[in-house]
Amino acid sequence: MKTNPVYRREMMVSARSLRMPLIITVFNSILAIVALLNMYSNVMQVRLTADVEYGSFLGIYEFVTVVEFIMLMFIMPAITSGTISGERERQTLDLMLTTEMKTWEIVVGKLAAAFVNMFLVVVSSFPLVAVVFVYGGITGKDMLLMLICLVVSALFSGSLGICCSSLFKRSTVSTVAAYAVLALTVVGTYGVNSFAYSMARMDLGQSGYMMGMIGEQAASSGGFLYTLLVNPSVTFLLILQDQTATGNGILEMYGNRGPNLVTDHWVAVSSGVQLALSALFVFIAIKMVRKRGIGRNA
Amino acid sequence: MLEIRGLKKTFGKYQVLNGLDMTVPDGSLYGFVGPNGAGKTTTIKIMVGLLQADGGSVRLGETLSGAEGWKRHIGYVPDFFGVYDNLKVAEYMEFFAACYGLEGLRARKRCAALLEQIGLEDKVDFYVEGLSKGMQQRLCLARALIHDPEVLILDEPMAGLDPRTRFEFKETLKDLREQGKTIVMSSHVLSELSELCTDVGIMDQGRMALTGNIRDILSQVNSSNPIVITLFGGGTDRALNILKSHPYVHTITVKDQDIIVRFTGDRQDEAVLLQQLIDAGLLVSSFTREQGSLESLFMQITGREEERTVLKYENESGL
Repeated sequence: MKTNPVYRREMMVSARSLRMPLIITVFNSILAIVALLNMYSNVMQVRLTADVEYGSFLGIYEFVTVVEFIMLMFIMPAITSGTISGERERQTLDLMLTTEMKTWEIVVGKLAAAFVNMFLVVVSSFPLVAVVFVYGGITGKDMLLMLICLVVSALFSGSLGICCSSLFKRSTVSTVAAYAVLALTVVGTYGVNSFAYSMARMDLGQSGYMMGMIGEQAASSGGFLYTLLVNPSVTFLLILQDQTATGNGILEMYGNRGPNLVTDHWVAVSSGVQLALSALFVFIAIKMVRKRGIGRNA
Repeated sequence: MLEIRGLKKTFGKYQVLNGLDMTVPDGSLYGFVGPNGAGKTTTIKIMVGLLQADGGSVRLGETLSGAEGWKRHIGYVPDFFGVYDNLKVAEYMEFFAACYGLEGLRARKRCAALLEQIGLEDKVDFYVEGLSKGMQQRLCLARALIHDPEVLILDEPMAGLDPRTRFEFKETLKDLREQGKTIVMSSHVLSELSELCTDVGIMDQGRMALTGNIRDILSQVNSSNPIVITLFGGGTDRALNILKSHPYVHTITVKDQDIIVRFTGDRQDEAVLLQQLIDAGLLVSSFTREQGSLESLFMQITGREEERTVLKYENESGL
């Protein structure tokens, strides 16, 4: 089978660099230390109280998946936001554009290489996550669902990075832009919902006919709730809360008025929305590479 | 045959190409010159498919630029060398071979043959960023040949190379032409182009000011160059009297021992004039037409030679 030349080259170059082995070593070392400390504290607790707190073993799972999620969300844009602009800075983009390779092959090859590299880090931590199987509570299906969520999040943040990379000439500018958009997506959507929710509560409180608890229960962020569909952290937290049975439903925080088709199938719908946005980012990147590759340096 | 017809390109309010026409015969080494901003790089970028023209066409045989398969016919060597970190020479070549769908043993054989042709066969395991500029430029040439294109387009390929590397690069280009490749090359080093090229095109202000076979052009340049007459033992005044009365003499400049004459007659008229000077008893030690060069032609076309001539005429003319 023919391999994408850009993907093959990127993988070859990254395999030679010390960066990936270093990331894998540091990441897994931190996770291993945390897992061992967690087990140690559980053993100590058993010695003191003679009770086995099985729930605390899930702490390892929570910790590992949260770290993985944060890493994917924050490292993927850093890697991909320099891909196209880096080619432009090295003056190698023109050389590729004069070959028979299609523009989409360049963009997809770059994204795939960054994705596979990051996923290597995630997969390398699976033996640590598997520690929870010793005590039970998390099933293989749960892990698969979490893996799918991480894949979608990685694709989302990675394609956002590559889109910014194609829009801006300089890697530093595109990295800043990618993080700005990501912050807007993750923090901004929470902010909008919090604001809309508090405004709704104030309105109901002032209207007089619904006061106190009734008013608070009736309040919601309304249609703004659906802006959270583009926020990968909401999808992740919903899955994690469901699997570990911890915390309140994140959608209820903003007065989820459900049930409806979207809120009932939030994970599936939000994953679909994020995948669609990822495809849109890649599409924009392809268009921009074609246009910028052709239009610059008069 | 690579044919460009009525090529137009505007960037904002600035018209870079204004109906450029150009014909590059098959198997020729076409030198492409022009002052900065004349539109050379823009033309080259349109030819290789990196820019889209606002009007006009670029055609190679029956294939129009931008059509399916166009890029397979064209090899491009830009005026820079894009370096990938952590990539060896052989891997660099194989990467670009893969970009043209050439993979496996075929790609490796082709890469090895090209590296041998350009003299980098002993550098296959070297990292690309560690090569000298000359080697990088040769590697860039090999990369452009990876898919065996009919036409090779080079943008200032010898800029910044040392004399030895320039010589080797020129030899490689000559070899490629002998192998049947059509080569289009832009350069600012006109002496190199006149020595290397079979055809030349001089661009000015987005148009082709002059194009054709380099020998034909230089012979035309020669016939429009001034005649330099040197006399032995004086007699300049008598010579000036004869020259002033000659119908083909337009301007006369006296400079030290030399009389420089702008003469529009043909070779026979030149011979008659020489005979007249000798018959007048003058000892003519030298009677030659100044040799034309691509540089002088370039200066004339781009408007700077004319200024020089006027100054000389005003300051020094004996008329």
